Amino acid sequence: MIRLENVTKIYNSEVTALRDATFEVNKGEFVFLVGPSGSGKSTLLRMMNRQERPEKGEVWVAGRNINEMPDSKVPHLRRNIGNIFQDYKLLLNKTVHENVAFALEVIGRPKHVIRQQVPAVMDLVGLTGKQDRFPHQLSGGEQQRVSIARAFVNRPLILLADEPTGNLDPGTGEGIMRLLDRINKTGTTVVMATHDQRIVNMMRKRVIQMDRGIIVRDQARGVYE
Amino acid sequence: MWSRLTYTFRETGASLRRNVTLTVAAILTSAVSLFLVGGTFLVQRGFDNLLSKWAGGVQMIVYVNPTATPDQIDSIRQALSANPTVVDVGKLDYFDKARSLAEAKRLFAADPGAFALLNDNNIPTEFKIVPKSGKLDLLVQLANSFRTDIPQVQKVVLARDQVEQISKLRDFVQTVTVGLSILLLIGALILIWTTIRTAMFARRREIEVMKLVGATNWFIRIPFMLEGLIQGLVGGLLSCGFLLFFNRLWTNGVVKLKGDNGFIALVVSNSFLNGVMLGVVVFGMVAGAIASGVAASRFLDV
Repeated sequence: MIRLENVTKIYNSEVTALRDATFEVNKGEFVFLVGPSGSGKSTLLRMMNRQERPEKGEVWVAGRNINEMPDSKVPHLRRNIGNIFQDYKLLLNKTVHENVAFALEVIGRPKHVIRQQVPAVMDLVGLTGKQDRFPHQLSGGEQQRVSIARAFVNRPLILLADEPTGNLDPGTGEGIMRLLDRINKTGTTVVMATHDQRIVNMMRKRVIQMDRGIIVRDQARGVYE
Repeated sequence: MWSRLTYTFRETGASLRRNVTLTVAAILTSAVSLFLVGGTFLVQRGFDNLLSKWAGGVQMIVYVNPTATPDQIDSIRQALSANPTVVDVGKLDYFDKARSLAEAKRLFAADPGAFALLNDNNIPTEFKIVPKSGKLDLLVQLANSFRTDIPQVQKVVLARDQVEQISKLRDFVQTVTVGLSILLLIGALILIWTTIRTAMFARRREIEVMKLVGATNWFIRIPFMLEGLIQGLVGGLLSCGFLLFFNRLWTNGVVKLKGDNGFIALVVSNSFLNGVMLGVVVFGMVAGAIASGVAASRFLDV
């Protein structure tokens, strides 16, 4: 589903964020990217939806070399990739329902599809009954559920999560992880960057460990260390 | 399709409301600059009208009484052709009643009442004379002799001083209005650019989310282009109001100058005014949309 080959990313021609990274993520896998701040986890995620392009190497997603992809095709690539962030990135002037519907609206999905898919995904993330609230009326965990609903409403092949539990207390974070696990079990590939040791150890999924831009460990059913 | 349309109009409306001060500034500047652009065309047209009867180097016009017989007209032509050292005979042009009426219709565009009084029985016909170069002094003598010696000549008019002064005035006015309108147009475009940039900054989070969920750049750009188009449209319509108002003021002023001074030709026809107004509105819309589109593209790399 995702394959990186000898990927090197250098910022401002001096800071090396990634060096010679090579790995493959299969369809339906759940992968943790772990490592300290600045180790290159977020850069790796940003490579996978072409927010960044490498100086060297190739990034393949769903069978396509996305670095060679013309700019006009990038929106279509991104429709197959959901994104979740530590700070949720919700639109504060829109209700929960509008935030989720927005993701379908801006890719031109017809109204009847929106009416059908939004309530279904609300139910999946456990927010039924809260669709008319605004983000500031929700707890952190609930806001992250809205963000997951928005990322998943279009049923993407891949979900990229950048520190999704970073702003949440441990109990709430566990709830979010159970939700991501459920989504993963529907066949969606999940790649999650985190330095939440407890969660990585609890989930026992594949772990790719980064250190100063280099992959130092790639372990199936791994722990944080 | 329908949901895209409603989305576009909703976003455009919201953005215009959010940005009222800058929007008003952009609209007013574009209105004034488009008014000057339109004004330049009107002034230009007025001067062209005024000078049109002298177009092609004509320096002397012999008006012939409407009652003149073809033989009498022919003898005037012969009298003119008999001076080949002064008159460029090859360019000698005779305006019969039909052509004179057509010319009068254009020159009297502002005064249909006066034009209605003209008909085949009372409109003088005209000989337009282009002199040989350097023979202006002799032309003056010829004019004087035609005034007194040739039967059925109603009057003889010389371009001499009048035309040159009007041409100079036209060139000056044209330079000033074109210069000012270019400056103001640049100002208007910069303001539209800034409005769009501010609007995009206010919505940068939204645009980021849109890009991440796979909205195309055109989808993001179009509401902003529509916003620029609306600013240009409203500015253009306002400038039409200014043009109508000042043109009426001008026409009334010129019509009051009644008399045989020919200044009535400074007034432009309504059809020309309508054409100019349509032009500034379309130009405003296109320039606004393009400026916004370029500004939006410039800031889409979030």
